[in-house]
Amino acid sequence: MHDNLLALALIVGGCNWAFRFLPTQLDLSAQAPDGAWARFLAATGPAAIATLAVASLLPMVTARLAEIGPLLAGVLGVLAVFFWRRSVVQATLAGAAAYGAVFALV
Amino acid sequence: MADPAQKSSFSHGLVTAAPIAMGYFPIAFSFGVAATRAGLTGAEAVMLSVIIYAGASQFLALALITSGAPFLVSAFTLVAMNIRHVLYGPALMKRAGAGAGKRYAWLWAFGLTDEVFGAALGALARRRAQFSERFMFGLGLGAYAAWLAGTAAGALAGGGALEGWPVLSAALGFMLPALFLALLLSILSRAQVPVIAVAGTVTVAATLWASPTAGILGGMVAGALVGVLGLGGRHAR
Repeated sequence: MHDNLLALALIVGGCNWAFRFLPTQLDLSAQAPDGAWARFLAATGPAAIATLAVASLLPMVTARLAEIGPLLAGVLGVLAVFFWRRSVVQATLAGAAAYGAVFALV
Repeated sequence: MADPAQKSSFSHGLVTAAPIAMGYFPIAFSFGVAATRAGLTGAEAVMLSVIIYAGASQFLALALITSGAPFLVSAFTLVAMNIRHVLYGPALMKRAGAGAGKRYAWLWAFGLTDEVFGAALGALARRRAQFSERFMFGLGLGAYAAWLAGTAAGALAGGGALEGWPVLSAALGFMLPALFLALLLSILSRAQVPVIAVAGTVTVAATLWASPTAGILGGMVAGALVGVLGLGGRHAR
């Protein structure tokens, strides 16, 4: 096993554990709701997720129908099922299924 | 509806985790396949799932490792991705009410992923469960077990397992973009639009101008700065 990989996993996993556990012991609601820290916390999650969504979709964007067709179907599949079921898991699976279905057709 | 006088059990948590487990298994399977395809051994793939246990981070870790990104850049990027999790604990404990047990939170809180948090909060809000640490253990363990089993199955199948199944391979390859898009929809609100718009725009610009790594870092920083400046994100959950 690569030492760097294990070190990376331990750092990221340790921080994940800290992010998930430590706030259960703190009362962040006592913080000023409009303070800079509160705004930072509130914005970091959406910024990270938006960035990653764009970064993962960007390489798939192309003018070729055979490649853009499955992408459009996948995105529409996610949108449709999310607004129908309000479930991240179901929307993810539906998007992948729609992508695969159109990929098979074109 | 749960009996308000009776705290929910471990098995109740496991049952509540069933939909998450059904979704986690195929995503983790695709991670196991992608990891071995990227050159990791099966043990390394499972190790990442055991220790990190964050789907998006794990997929991105593969991209960073295979792209040869510097160690510190990789670590910072992956850690930054999960800062949003600091919001989950306080929100959950607030919903659980004053006096809710958290003696073993150091253990069950490790399983507080996006989906587990959402399921727990939803069950408590709809009064389908009464908060207890046993319930949280059941909910977290069901999801975690599915994640590990899926990773192991995918790693066992190997990177070449899907070569004869191009449609399935294509569908699994869209899992990650689909997951991010669905997560984005789940946190979307009018207050977050400036943050999301700036993060997305900067990601595209920096990716095209410099590199994908610069795009990811630039997008996150720019979006968070928009929030600090007070242009969005005040009403995040």
